[in-house]
Amino acid sequence: MKKPVYIFSDGVLKRKNNTLFFESEGVQKFIPVENTSEIYIFGEVDLNKRFLEFLTQSEIILHFFNRYGYYVGSFYPREYLNSGYMILKQAEHYLDLQKRLTLAKAFVKGAYKNMKQVLKYYQSRGIDSLDRYIQQMDNQFESISGIDSIATLMAIEGNIRQTYYSSFDLIIDDDNFKFEKRTKRPPRNAINTLISFGNSMMYTIVLSEIYRTHLDPRIGYLHSTNFRRFTLNLDVAEIFKPIIIDRLIFSIISKNMLKPEHFEEDFEGMLLKDEAKKMFINELEQRLSTTITVKNIGNHVSYRQLIRIELYKIEKHLMGEKEYDPYVTQW
Amino acid sequence: MYTILVYDVNEKRVAKALKVCRKYLNWVQNSVFEGEISEAKLKKLKLELSQKLNLEEDSVIIYNFQTKFYSSREILGVEKNNLDRFI
Repeated sequence: MKKPVYIFSDGVLKRKNNTLFFESEGVQKFIPVENTSEIYIFGEVDLNKRFLEFLTQSEIILHFFNRYGYYVGSFYPREYLNSGYMILKQAEHYLDLQKRLTLAKAFVKGAYKNMKQVLKYYQSRGIDSLDRYIQQMDNQFESISGIDSIATLMAIEGNIRQTYYSSFDLIIDDDNFKFEKRTKRPPRNAINTLISFGNSMMYTIVLSEIYRTHLDPRIGYLHSTNFRRFTLNLDVAEIFKPIIIDRLIFSIISKNMLKPEHFEEDFEGMLLKDEAKKMFINELEQRLSTTITVKNIGNHVSYRQLIRIELYKIEKHLMGEKEYDPYVTQW
Repeated sequence: MYTILVYDVNEKRVAKALKVCRKYLNWVQNSVFEGEISEAKLKKLKLELSQKLNLEEDSVIIYNFQTKFYSSREILGVEKNNLDRFI
């Protein structure tokens, strides 16, 4: 029910009349606190401590993006669901290599199965040559069972993803959106820019959901917990990236919603303009609120709820109640 | 649940009603609010409003829709506040 708010304008965000208030030249807008789940800031926004205190009180996360649209960081308010027990369990599963591998492999498995589902979907739409890529991914995945180190596991995950990405040109089939190869920091063409932007949105969405559970986002399993801040959201996002972000990109392109003028070149890289970001986010929000029926749940759940359910499944695994089995899409 | 809330409140308490409603729903025009809200939040809103208002004299009407599916929204003239999720 609660909805995220996206701020692209420059201005001041503050607390006013016990609610959120955004003010810039000519624009004055109250945002209902009780109905806000998180705030995404893309513009140049000023805020003060009193405002952050208020956000902590209302349990709202703030995500910042820089002017290139890259993720900068989040204001992660004090945990309101505290559980020493859960932290111990998370640490236990991290420190014990076998337990860590079990979880890490589950994430890779989930990611691989969902990538395969995406390719299968397009195969059923008449792109026959995808079969070769699915075969190759299957082969790469098979070697996963004997692995006993996280580094090799990540390498295999990388290989699977590379195979998956190399099939993109077949799926998209649009001269304006040639994929060629995955480039990051900076992404060098339109499609890479979309993937990067979509993935960083996905990471923040999962992070926001983790905030609403007892899990600690700092302890991840596939991505090692070192001195970076959050890793668990990266792990969980792997599962959802193919079915949410990649599918979204394909559908946006096939509907001709993106034009070359939505991009601009900068520092050898390619940037998305605000207008295109808004359109992308709008479509993403729509997708996240789409409800589907899921086996074993029986009820209609939205994709956003599905992410939360995934986190609860991890909690159950950590507590030793039920083995974690990643979500694999049915379509 | 999608909700439209309108109030007709004595001038003395109008500001109070406005402030409470702004926390839960989007302001649309003078004394009209609308927005997606959960049942629990709506209960909270009603409670807060009834504490601030004089229910002998003031009047608040709340329209609830289970779904927006069969509804449409038209604006004649000026849209005083657009309900976009982007600012």
